[in-house]
Amino acid sequence: MMRRHWIMPALNILLLLIGLAFIFPVFYSVMTSLRAPGYGLSADIIPDSFYWGNYARLWSYGRFPRYILNSIIDALGGALLTCIAAAPAAYALARLHFKGRDPILWLILGMMMIPGLTNLIPLYKLASDLKLLSTYTIMILVFGAYGVPLGVWIMKGFFESIPRELEEAAAIDGATPFQTFLRIVVPISAPGLTATFLINFVYNWNNFITPLILISKTIMKTATVGLFDFQHALEGNQDELLAAACVVIMVPAIALFVTLRRYFLQGMIEGAVKG
Amino acid sequence: MYVVTEKTRARGWARIFQQRSNQLYPYFLLAPALVLIGAVSLYPTLYSFYLALTSVRKGVMVFVGLDNFATILASRQFWHSLQLTLIFGAFYITLTMLISFILALIFNRGLSLGGLCMTLIFIPWVLSEITSGVMWRWMFYRDYGVLQRLIGPLFGNVTLIATPAGAMGVVTAASVWRSTAFTMLLLLAGLQTIPKEVYEAASIDGATKWQAFWKVTWPLLRPTTLVTVVFLSIQVVNAVGMFLAITEGGPGNATEVLPLHMYREAIQYFHFGYGAALSVIMFLINAVLAVVYIRALRSESVWS
Repeated sequence: MMRRHWIMPALNILLLLIGLAFIFPVFYSVMTSLRAPGYGLSADIIPDSFYWGNYARLWSYGRFPRYILNSIIDALGGALLTCIAAAPAAYALARLHFKGRDPILWLILGMMMIPGLTNLIPLYKLASDLKLLSTYTIMILVFGAYGVPLGVWIMKGFFESIPRELEEAAAIDGATPFQTFLRIVVPISAPGLTATFLINFVYNWNNFITPLILISKTIMKTATVGLFDFQHALEGNQDELLAAACVVIMVPAIALFVTLRRYFLQGMIEGAVKG
Repeated sequence: MYVVTEKTRARGWARIFQQRSNQLYPYFLLAPALVLIGAVSLYPTLYSFYLALTSVRKGVMVFVGLDNFATILASRQFWHSLQLTLIFGAFYITLTMLISFILALIFNRGLSLGGLCMTLIFIPWVLSEITSGVMWRWMFYRDYGVLQRLIGPLFGNVTLIATPAGAMGVVTAASVWRSTAFTMLLLLAGLQTIPKEVYEAASIDGATKWQAFWKVTWPLLRPTTLVTVVFLSIQVVNAVGMFLAITEGGPGNATEVLPLHMYREAIQYFHFGYGAALSVIMFLINAVLAVVYIRALRSESVWS
């Protein structure tokens, strides 16, 4: 019992140090983004004075604002599509009895096992044949589909936790099954939908390799692909500008995660525990 | 609320009866998800099996049978890339599991700073591979890089990222850094499913903490561990973003792992057939691994 006195504080401090080490690269980028033009990389971590002008420079550098807009459209569209497709499917799998239920469930979840990359080569070929390369349409469709397995998994867990009595009451009130689903089940499952939406939005926002392969037109590039170009153009000479771009791309994801952490972790644990 | 009269109730039941008998309703709900998955995931995957048997000759796609596979198996780059992938995978999976497991055990004690530290550790997971890559390159930048200055002297002051082993080490470290939080969460969720009574029983039987860990925690966590390893091996097969962002396969081709090799062949050189054949090989490797894991999982499950 004597050990207890110091072991908990020691573990707390150890964990805090590990946590800080984990975010060090982020801190380092923020610091680099605050250096005056031409003073990008330095052996000192914290600059002598903070220069905020890089963010203004970034606004007019290349097509950065357009890349951000593209990222928003693709990530948002994809996450919405995922929710629209995954919620009814998850409801059917959670509540209804029908032929082929188990095979369909395994088919959907099995999609998680197909590595995204092996899938991208035929997808590139197909999109190119259909003249869909470098369009919002293909990005939203692909992001939407990528999110479905995880979305179904998360939503299925939520639907299963809703008491059946609510749906039965609605049915007695004369609602059709689909009305029951839309007006009763979906609103109650808002936390599950939010988790599905948020996790997929952040995944889509961060996705680098999919837009790298499916987008070739400059004007349609996402922020992540733009950053890859910037890395080639700016590393070693204008690192402060490159760092500012990194920060702008990181901030939305980190802010969403930190403020809505509960939804992220709940959604993931939902998938993890049963997975 | 509207009043349920006998009439509306009867109509409601009639409608339900009609809907219940309408066996298409579940499929109607499933249709959007299935169409989407079919078009974007399933069909392209099947299509890649076909593409793998074709090649573009003089601008026309022709059927070449197993030629692509023969070319791949005879290619030195393939074996080199496969070897690199296995080395990367072994280090990446082992290190991620080890660090995540230790962290999960610490978090499982319910520390007062647990929530805050969990948030901090999770931040790398919400970053893009490309932002992570840019940042890790900086940390190993020659002369200035923070970690280069810290670790470089241990390796005779070479610029680590410019050496074959060093470059692989940097990508591995960055990948472990990014995957740790999620892996830790999976293991933590597994740890929390172990009932407290099992530990109580063990301690009544006179087990020490050390024995309790090896005899209770470890075997009970085995299913979770296996699922986590499957998840990580899928990450290995997908590991192209981090390599592109940090080394682009260099120096030379010292870090051109299989996924990156495939990306280059198919997307940069437009060798779709060859790239698709590579993806089929990777798909098969992954499927074999998955089956092995599932077998192991079934035979060692302590609950059965």
